[in-house]
Formats: sequence, C-alpha cells, structure tokens
Amino acid sequence: MTLLSVQGLQSEFRTARGVVKAVRGVDLTVAAGEVLGIVGESGSGKSVTCMSILKLLKRQGHITAGKALFQGRDLLTLSEAQLSDIRGDEIAVIFQDPMSSLNPTLTVGAQVIEVILRHRKVSRAQARARAVELFDLVRIPAAESRVDAYPHEFSGGMRQRAMIAMALACDPKLLIADEPTTALDVTIQRQILTLLKDIQARMGMAMILITHDLGVIAETCDRVCVMYGGLVMEEAPVKALFARPSHPYTRGLLAAVPDLRDGMRQRLSPIPGSPPDMADPPPGCPFAPRCPAAMVHCVAERPPLFIATDTPRLGGGQSARCWLMHPDAPEVSP
Amino acid sequence: MTGAAIRALPWGWFLRRLALMAVTLWVIITLTFFMMHAVPGGPFVSERMMAPEIAAALDAKWGLSDPLWQQYLNYLRGILRFDLGPSFKYPGVSVNEMIADGLAVTARTGLLAVLCVVAVGVPLGIAAALNRGRWPDTGVMMLATIGVAVPSYVIATVMLYVFALRLGWVPTFGLDDWRGYILPVIALAGFWVSFVARLTRSSLLETLDQDYMTTARAKGLRRRQILIRHGLRNSLIPVVTVLGPVVANLLTGSFVIEQIFALPGIGRHFVLSITNRDYTAIMGITIFYAAFLILMILIVDILYLWLDPRIRAGAKA
Repeated sequence: MTLLSVQGLQSEFRTARGVVKAVRGVDLTVAAGEVLGIVGESGSGKSVTCMSILKLLKRQGHITAGKALFQGRDLLTLSEAQLSDIRGDEIAVIFQDPMSSLNPTLTVGAQVIEVILRHRKVSRAQARARAVELFDLVRIPAAESRVDAYPHEFSGGMRQRAMIAMALACDPKLLIADEPTTALDVTIQRQILTLLKDIQARMGMAMILITHDLGVIAETCDRVCVMYGGLVMEEAPVKALFARPSHPYTRGLLAAVPDLRDGMRQRLSPIPGSPPDMADPPPGCPFAPRCPAAMVHCVAERPPLFIATDTPRLGGGQSARCWLMHPDAPEVSP
Repeated sequence: MTGAAIRALPWGWFLRRLALMAVTLWVIITLTFFMMHAVPGGPFVSERMMAPEIAAALDAKWGLSDPLWQQYLNYLRGILRFDLGPSFKYPGVSVNEMIADGLAVTARTGLLAVLCVVAVGVPLGIAAALNRGRWPDTGVMMLATIGVAVPSYVIATVMLYVFALRLGWVPTFGLDDWRGYILPVIALAGFWVSFVARLTRSSLLETLDQDYMTTARAKGLRRRQILIRHGLRNSLIPVVTVLGPVVANLLTGSFVIEQIFALPGIGRHFVLSITNRDYTAIMGITIFYAAFLILMILIVDILYLWLDPRIRAGAKA
C-alpha cells in the first residue's frame, strides 16, 4: 500500500547568485513499512526533496511544482496549521546535526514532552512517563533522570538518540531521517543506524533514509533512489542496485567505494569533474559532462525515466534516467 | 520554592559575586576620591578674593586641612554608615538628601522611559523580525535608525518647539500634570527604544535561522509556541544584557534632558556639583551611580542563569 507518493516535485532557492533549482521534477513512492534510501552527493537535492514534502524549507526555499500525496492527501496544498497537525505526529523528522537541532535552553525531556502534548490528549505526567519510556526505547541509560538533563549534558550520540525519541513520540507512520549519522563519530554511527533499523522493523513504520553512504544504504534499505542534479537518476530494489546498477552515475558511485574483500591492492576510481551548478543547470542530462558513456544526445535533451516494465535493458523494479536505456542506444557494457 | 530548589541555587557563585562587587565599588570610590582631589581648586575657591584666614577657617571646619589619607579614611568610614556627608555648596543639605530629592524626579521619568524601552522597543523588534523585508520591518528600521542617529537634545528641542510652543499641547517645563511627562520621557527613551528594537530584531532573526527552530516546526508545534518557547528565550539574552546598563542610565538621569525640560533631577545635580567642586556631592553621586550600575549587572547575571542552563552549569562549577 502506497503511503507517500511524490509527483513532479520542483523546489528552488532564491539567492543572491540567482535562482538555484535544487529539485527539478522528482517522483518517488514509499510503501507502508518500507525503508527507502535516497543517496546522492551534497547538492543533489536529496535533503531539499524531503524537506519540501513537509514544507520545512528555510526562508529562501520555495516549492514551485508537484504533489506530495500522503495517504491520498496532497501535503503541499495544506495550510501551515493543517500541516502542523501531521508534522511530528504522522510524519516525523530526524536531522543531521544533533548538536544544533536541540534547543540548548530547554531540557531534552521537555522537548520530547512538548511533541506528545501537542498531538495527544494526555496529562503532563503521562507525557513525561511516555518520554521516559521513549528514552528507554532508544537505549539512553538512566532514562528517568536523563529526561531532566539539558542538551549540553549529552554526548553527540546521546543527543541523536534523544532526537530519535522525539521523532518516535507519536508513533509516526513515516520517519524521515536526513543523514542521521553524518555528524557522529564512526563508532557511534553504527549504533545509531542499528537502533533506527531495529525500531523501524519493530514498529513497522516506513522510513526515508537520506545518506551519501552506500554502505548505510546496503544495510538498511529496501529500495534506493539515486539522486543527482536535482533529479532521480536511478531507482531500484537495494539488491538489484548493487548487483546490476544500470545508470553510469550509479556505477561510478559504486566504483568509488572501497571493497575490502579485494584486499588493499585495488585503487579507488573517483568520478572525474564536479556536480553541475544548480543556478544554471545543463539542459540535457546533468551527469553528461562527467559521464564516460555520454552521447551527443545526452547533452542536448534531458533523458526521461525509463521504467523496467517497458525497457528490456532494465531488471525487475528498476528504473533509470539515462538515454542508454533507449532501445536505439548502443549497448554499453558496465 | 522548596528547600531542595533553594539549595540547588549557585550560592557560592552569588557570594563570590557580592564580594567582587564590594571590591569594584571600593576601587571606584578610591579612584574618584584621589582624582577629584588632584584637580586644582576646591569648593571654597571662587572669583571673589577671600581673606586667607577665612579660607583657612572654612577648610578647617570641613576637614579639608587634614592630610589627604585622613580625609579618605573619614570618608570611607562615613560610607560604611551609608552617610555621604554634607554638601559643601548648599549649607544644611546632606548629599543623601540631595540624591533623594533628585532621584524623586529622575526616577519618575526614568522608570517611564525604561517601561517604554521594554514595552515598545522589544515588541517593535519582534514585529520587524517576523516581517523581515516587508513594510513593517522597513518602517521600524527606518524609525530606529533615526532614533539612534539623532541626538536626544535635538529631538527634545524640536519636540518642545512644535508640541509645546507652537501647538501648546504640552507644558514647556515641569512635571505638574501627566502631559508634562510626555516629552521628557520620549526624549529620554528615544535612543534606547531604537537601540533595543534593532538589537531584538537582529537577535531574533539569528535565532529564527537556527536548526532547532526547524526542529520545532518539524514537531508540529504551533506558531506561537515556536516563537515564544523556542525563539524568544534564546534571542532575549543580548537584549537583557543591555537592559541592565540602560536601566541604570535612565534612572540616574540625563543632564542634557533635565536641563532642557528644567527638571531638578540627579543628572543636573551631578554636573553642577562638578563645576562647584562640591567634593562630597561629586563623590556621593558617583558612588550612587556606580553602585546602581553594579547592582543592575548582578540582576542581569541572575537573569542569564534563568534564561540559559549552560550559564547555570558554569556558575555551579
């Protein structure tokens, strides 16, 4: 059952340098209980896509087109008041930097309690008890006393656990985790990720996990969207993506990740060049200037998203925004 | 407050602060005392020639012929008893009475001005920040820039000319009825209202851009909750910082404004006492001002403890 369906989403930022077209027509769906990974470099539009869904863009950000149907309702047409009933209740967000995402002047517990009081008709004491329960759930030790601590008394990992507790407070149907481990120590990253995956499976909620780490994707996700230049370049079930990536960009990403099974002899192959300037994006495929398989047509016209059902070159459930998927294109071996 | 809550307060910090305040005040007293005596002349030196015998008799009467250290110790002894001594210039009037008289006038206009700064400056700043780039913001900022840039005596004089002299809506001097307060209070508060409005605006704008404000929105909190609970508390810290000295400044009067509106306040006493070399009055008013300022800074620091738990943690350590 489809929980969230984003259609033709476009968002831009009006800056002094001009209009930055961060998201240029993104489609994605999330089924109930499913974990969708969104992977891409910084500036690929992955965070902006997710923040647009809840209309949480910063001041300069604007959504210019598209729909975000959540259980059939288009979130983008809702008023701020209607949307605030959904935020934190049915859809919750975990942000990248737990250092700056918690208010330094309020106790961590108070920040969890206020979400519960906002969305549930419970007494303050009940909300507090629920907060302690949530702290236990995210494995914050001595939950009963830590509820009254301030963010500066927490370590980075503990703060992110508190952010997760806050997000889970009202049993959301969808959790958006925006690079939840990027700002943490490597040793803590795994703990937080395991915790998230564990809770997601136990509560049966859907999750969108934004990351630039393919390892994280492989471990946690059911399906993956690869984003580049404000577009979804490839979408595939996680196994298919790693087994037979169809887009040259995906193949480039995978080649840039070290594979320790090959020992240390293998050299990494970075993708040459840099991402496009989104204030002036190229008219064709945004990856064409860096693509080893680029054709003349790639620069001229933006490729559509080819889907598996009518593209013999794609495997089951896979889709790719690449002219190589066109039946008339030459066969390129990976 | 419960017993436990009282014990949880940073008493050690508080006692250290009080000790430090006493030391600060002592340094100010000492510096003022010796600097004042280093200036040539004295309270009884005037254009009219005085017989040397009379001058010597006057000096002896007021203890001015004693060695300086003796005078200093005598003075300190007086201060410990909250006695600032008699005025040299106005016979029969003590400096304590002088300050009390002046304060009665100054505090009335000063308190009203402080009220204006808080009740007008802060809300204007908030309104400007919430409407960033739109007309309320532009309007408030334009007014505030004028308020900061134009000296208070210019504003006072222009207002006197227009509203008192030309239109006759308010009296030109005195505080005999409520209309008399309007112009002095506006002239006193104008600069600080503008200053605080600008400060509140920039501080709130900075807070609104913080990540935790996005978190608050992502939690579905209502607009008012987000603004008051998460926004204002954090952005008011710089505002509270300036409010301490502002209160001290406004309550101890302004010589210029008191002169223009012919108000017998402390500010006027202070400047006159300097030209008069009225030693005890200079000392007394300086000490009063310093003590008041130090007290306001202490109050500001206590407010910090309440506003920011990180500072609270630092005070306890």
